[in-house]
Amino acid sequence: ITMNIGTATSEENPTHSYLGSRGIWITYVLILLITHFMLLTIPFFSVAVAWTLTNVVHCVITYFMLHVTKGTPWGTPEQGKARTQTQWEQIDFGQQFTPTKKFLTVVPVAIFFLASFYTKYDTTHFCINLIALGFSVIPKLPQLHGVRIFNINKW
Amino acid sequence: MYDMFQALLQAPSYHLFFEALLIIWIFKLLFFSKAYAPESVLTEKEKEELIAEWQPEPLAPEIPDDHPVLMAMENNIITGKPGKYVTINGKSCVNMATLNFLGMAGNPSVEAEAIKTLKKYGVGSCGPRGFYGTMDVHLELEDKIAKFMNCEEAILYAFGFATIASAIPAYSKRGDVIFADEGVCFAIQKGLVASRSKIKWFKHNDMEDLERLLIEQAKEDKKNPKKAKVTRRFLVVEGLYINYGDLCPLPKLVELKWKYKVRLFLEESLSFGILGSNGKGVTEHYNISPDDIDLIAASLENAIGSTGGFCCGKKYIVDHQRLSGLGYCFSASLPPMLATAAIESLRLIDEKPGMLVELRENCEKIHSKLSDINGTVIVGEPISPVKHIRLAEPSTDRDFDVQTLQKIADLSRDNKVAVTLARYLEEEEHKLPLPSIRISVNNQLSDEEIDTVFTTLSEAFQKIITH
Repeated sequence: ITMNIGTATSEENPTHSYLGSRGIWITYVLILLITHFMLLTIPFFSVAVAWTLTNVVHCVITYFMLHVTKGTPWGTPEQGKARTQTQWEQIDFGQQFTPTKKFLTVVPVAIFFLASFYTKYDTTHFCINLIALGFSVIPKLPQLHGVRIFNINKW
Repeated sequence: MYDMFQALLQAPSYHLFFEALLIIWIFKLLFFSKAYAPESVLTEKEKEELIAEWQPEPLAPEIPDDHPVLMAMENNIITGKPGKYVTINGKSCVNMATLNFLGMAGNPSVEAEAIKTLKKYGVGSCGPRGFYGTMDVHLELEDKIAKFMNCEEAILYAFGFATIASAIPAYSKRGDVIFADEGVCFAIQKGLVASRSKIKWFKHNDMEDLERLLIEQAKEDKKNPKKAKVTRRFLVVEGLYINYGDLCPLPKLVELKWKYKVRLFLEESLSFGILGSNGKGVTEHYNISPDDIDLIAASLENAIGSTGGFCCGKKYIVDHQRLSGLGYCFSASLPPMLATAAIESLRLIDEKPGMLVELRENCEKIHSKLSDINGTVIVGEPISPVKHIRLAEPSTDRDFDVQTLQKIADLSRDNKVAVTLARYLEEEEHKLPLPSIRISVNNQLSDEEIDTVFTTLSEAFQKIITH
């Protein structure tokens, strides 16, 4: 899949398809694992804290990348439709329940399960992980497509 | 690991319940949800309403029927050649309007050369310079211009306006700095806009203002030397300003150029073939070598009586425009008969520099005569072939002044002296000059004709102003 932009034979907006491109899911999981291992190597963190921290860091980074940043770093030939859309809304041209979106929804849930297991179902950790899960999954629901609460991040 | 599984068995039930719900939800998401595109938010009724409400904007703006330019076009229909005398609406008038300073448009030997070329090459060149549009006459004209101006090389454009408007953006890009005089002509303004550079305007012919801007720029450069190293700086001026009729102070500009290290671009449309003892322009007038000027651009549409324009300078500077000058690469080249007409005009100027002396004398005579008209201010140098006559007491309404001057111009046209108002795109000029009647002098006017011009104009002014 070529990702040219701005030429005659270019992609209109690679954002819609790059998260489904070849090897990206494995890369995503690998980055997650590497982050987790790096957190585990820090001596002051217990296993539980490392898992919760992985969950939270993952949530913050993906929330920012997928639901806060809008538009594209390059100019698109369609008349700026993507300028007000977050990256999540641009994936697959706004279609819901595509494979990429399903994968990206399942990963935070899987992390939540693993984190709950490794924190031995401790209550405080549960609360933190639940909040992280909420921020990861709720914006991905199709009912929240294009919704801006209190007009934050509208333009 | 063992204690992990122990903890699982002792997990709080709300947690396990929540996880079970999550598992069910994930299962449903993965296997029972089909991909679909969300439908648009508007109902059919809303769509119809929006369509009915829409008022399209007009393709062209509403223009009143008595707009001065429309009236001028309808009332001034010319038949025949516009030489020293121009036939407007059947009446033959002294032509003080077209920029035919040396009478080259209508010159019989220039026309003979053009007709010879027409018979050899046909009319158009039908191609840009890169696509079989380069003919030997183009190369000959470029060579002749370069020799005439004592420069290494010249490049020829097919449209005078596009010459300077292509030359500036070929060298100056986004992030560069251009110091430009506020009174430059519209073509230069468009070139500056196209270059996307930072434009610093200095007051017309005000060298102190320019020096202040240059010193500011030098201070900024000291703060950020890395950025300053990659910023190009240019100075764009006209030799003789068409909007004001005055010369630029070239010696001071050259001094500032060397002191503050800016590249000087000189636009000589109104001084090429007019100033200097051999017609080489404002550099000869001030006795400055053209090596001090980085690029001289001029239009061949004024004194030379052809079309198109040229840029000349050092070879490494001018050669850049062969690939970067957009008006050169992407427009058809000059029609060959106009190129030979220009060659012949240059040859005539070389042969008879007396024409320039006649022109200068006529300019000075007209200047001194026109200064005597009551109620007017003459703007321009005495040796400038283009003079602006402004109202000495302008009203606060520009449109009213334009109408007054138009009435004066119409009256003088009815009395067989054709003059025009200086026209501008009022919304688009950077610094709109005051309304004026623009007089252009040519070298073929005799003393009686100059007297006629003076009497007609002063009567017209008298009549309309005191009315």
